[in-house]
Amino acid sequence: MIKVRGLKKNYGRVQALKGLDMDVPAGSIYGFIGQNGAGKTTALRILAGLLVPGQGLAEVAGWDIMLYPRAVQEAIGYMPDFFGVYDDLRVGEYLLFYASAYGIKGPRAGKLRDDLLELVELGDKREAFVDTLSRGMQQRLCLARALVHDPPVLLLDEPASGLDPLARVEMREILKELGQMGKTILVSSHILTELANLCTHIGMITEGALVRQGVLADLLNNTPVRKIVLRCACPTEKAVKFLEGWPGVEGINCQLHQVEFGLAGGLFQVAELLKELVNQEVPVTHFAPEEQTLEDTFVQLAGQTEV
Amino acid sequence: MVIKNSWEGLKNGLVPMLGKEMRGRSRGWRSPVLLSFYLGILIAGVILFLWLSFERMNFIMPQIGLILYSLFIFGLIMLISFIAPAIAAGAISGERERRTYDLLMVTKASLTGIVLGKWLASVIYLLFLAVTALPVFAVVFLFGGVPPAALGLVFVVCLAVGLGYGALGLALSAILKRTQAATIISLIVVFILIFGVPVLAGIIINSQPPGFMTGPPDMPGVRLTGPPWYVFLSPVIAFTSVLPGTGGYDRNWGIPLVSEFMNMIIRAVGMEQMGQGDHAAYKVGSVYAGMKETEPEGLAAWPPWARFTLYQGGLTILSLITAVLVIAPLKPWTIWRTRRSRRKG
Repeated sequence: MIKVRGLKKNYGRVQALKGLDMDVPAGSIYGFIGQNGAGKTTALRILAGLLVPGQGLAEVAGWDIMLYPRAVQEAIGYMPDFFGVYDDLRVGEYLLFYASAYGIKGPRAGKLRDDLLELVELGDKREAFVDTLSRGMQQRLCLARALVHDPPVLLLDEPASGLDPLARVEMREILKELGQMGKTILVSSHILTELANLCTHIGMITEGALVRQGVLADLLNNTPVRKIVLRCACPTEKAVKFLEGWPGVEGINCQLHQVEFGLAGGLFQVAELLKELVNQEVPVTHFAPEEQTLEDTFVQLAGQTEV
Repeated sequence: MVIKNSWEGLKNGLVPMLGKEMRGRSRGWRSPVLLSFYLGILIAGVILFLWLSFERMNFIMPQIGLILYSLFIFGLIMLISFIAPAIAAGAISGERERRTYDLLMVTKASLTGIVLGKWLASVIYLLFLAVTALPVFAVVFLFGGVPPAALGLVFVVCLAVGLGYGALGLALSAILKRTQAATIISLIVVFILIFGVPVLAGIIINSQPPGFMTGPPDMPGVRLTGPPWYVFLSPVIAFTSVLPGTGGYDRNWGIPLVSEFMNMIIRAVGMEQMGQGDHAAYKVGSVYAGMKETEPEGLAAWPPWARFTLYQGGLTILSLITAVLVIAPLKPWTIWRTRRSRRKG
């Protein structure tokens, strides 16, 4: 649904994007993660047609962003990281204004307004002035605004930033619901735990280039396991000897019946190692790889890039 | 198809933007306060003038209607000249400052529609201000002496002032990004256009050696060609043809200060013809063949208010195009260049 190839963008001498390549499959919830200043917002603004790339190609819903900007605008709903509201408009009027800017008028616009307010749980705030809403409500209203023309693609830049935990959960549930409705969602964030519970796909950007992308589960499974705890029924000499000869095992720390070690491989490699330990007749009573988080994956990849 | 899409885009920008801006202006305390302040100034001016007139004369002068009219028009044009750019100067920069700009740019509204919507909203607000001043204007007709045609001309010039300076403020709002900077710069530019241009023209013309303006060979050194084109950028020059008490109308009936100022400018920029000072100002382009006067031709034959209106039209179009091009995230030439390079690639 979104295809990016060799995208570059400079701000003066600063290179914000250094040849970004990215593929967002249709119907996926794609988490776009990276540190502050990694180039997430620049990439999203280019996709939204708000910035001109220095070089490269980007397509949204099959439309080249440089050649068919109007078609791209029709295909996307964009929510920036920082946004303002018209303080002299009521919530309902705000949505009607944007509906009208998308050419939706009359009774259809009224129904759309009510449906969207219902979706983002702001139905009871229709007559309230926009500036009286809390930050979380304004974020949800902005999301409703992005959905006003029913776009197949949503570009959301840090939609949960500045929200309290409850508001974050609400936002996450709404995004999940939108994902179930078949929308392709590209969501940038550096709150990785949020994305881990939401996304189907992940792309990691560091210093303007994508370092890893793919299905979230695969990415986690292939991340090196930092710590595995192995306990045996008898002293661990045999197990330690075996582990020392196993490729990728590092940092072995053994006690009487317990060994802790790291493994430069993902969960498939962990399963393989366990199988071999059992085959070698090591009396394994406990084998526990530390659960991998998106944060671990990102930190490791970011660390590799810095090196 | 292209025309249909353009029309749709224009509608998607113009209609909601106009509605939102007008709704916004009519809400809150700012609008009634501004309106009260504006009408208060006009009413206070009229009352002060009438009070001073009656106090000093103890009788009603027959020309009081005309005098009041010229005072009123001068005040109105100054108010519109400075309110129009001030209102429009926040139109686009305000969207940036409020961080609503990006949200507008990603809609299906065309940039032309957005700019026109913003511009029309400020112009309509100005018209609203002008209409609310009509009851004050009515006092003039209580005393009589003002032909309705003159009033019509005044409104044409006022409209030209509002449209042109509003568009100028909008363009500066797009270029400068900050409302404060756009407001200050637009007010300075308008001040220069109103007063600076004729004064500067006067200085330039009067500092030239005699005879620089070419005349017939048998009359060397006589000013015959009329003022330079750029003096008609000033509404003050336009008003020489519609304001009583200036060379272009009836020079005996204006309010002394304004009339004297106008006539000083007329003389300075060379609009006064040899021995024709009491003639209508639009004859400034008259050229003499020998000693026989012939009517001017082309643009020179246009009365000052018409030339000013024409130039304001140009300023309006230029400013609006500038605003559209400045706010476009993807410039037309960038799209064209990309198309060309993709075709080659």
